[in-house]
Amino acid sequence: MTAIQREIRTGESMKVGDFEITPQTRVLKIQLPGSHAGLIWNRPKAMIVRTADGQKSTLPVRDVTRIVIWGMLAGGLLGAILIGLMNRNT
Amino acid sequence: MTDETNMNTPEESGLDVFQDTMEEFLAAADVRVVYGEPIAHDDTLIIPTAEVLCGVGFGVGSGSGTSTEQNPEKPMQGAGSGGGGGGRILSRPVAVVVASPEGVRVEPVVDVTKIGLAALTAVGFMVGMMFRMSSRRHALPTTDE
Repeated sequence: MTAIQREIRTGESMKVGDFEITPQTRVLKIQLPGSHAGLIWNRPKAMIVRTADGQKSTLPVRDVTRIVIWGMLAGGLLGAILIGLMNRNT
Repeated sequence: MTDETNMNTPEESGLDVFQDTMEEFLAAADVRVVYGEPIAHDDTLIIPTAEVLCGVGFGVGSGSGTSTEQNPEKPMQGAGSGGGGGGRILSRPVAVVVASPEGVRVEPVVDVTKIGLAALTAVGFMVGMMFRMSSRRHALPTTDE
């Protein structure tokens, strides 16, 4: 059995008006071989929308909170590096 | 009225509990966990979505032994088993899917408190670094000629 598994799962479709929507999730499973411990990280990936005329489009589900937090972390680190470089030059 | 009796041994009951726990843990990978029950309002369908993080760990053990301390001629035997475990499920709303006959859209859920705390941490880190650098510069030894 593999320790880390990544998969994309598709749920049951729902009909709303002329649209048929299908949810998709992204699952990360971590299980250490030989140990009775595991971790599952399940998060929404996208919503597949199919119109009555057969057109298919994918609406990504973005985690804005996570994007902003990681952006701040990156900005903070970059800022700290820049301050360090500026301080070294003066 | 009849009394129900549990014929399972403690070991079997323990294994049942662990099996149930593992089944519940594996159910966290299901799509229905992330996408909540749709809420219908007129022609509009609202589907809440969440991120789920689930961790679990457990252990079981058993052993047996023979003691001759009390009576060397008649050794006493004993056996036992035990187990323990723990786990945690974290869930956080991510977005809301709004589906109506006009169209389908995804509205993000923004956690302002979390973002505010992250911003304060980042600013605090930068201010701390600036303060440390300026104090280090002031602490440089002066050369007397």
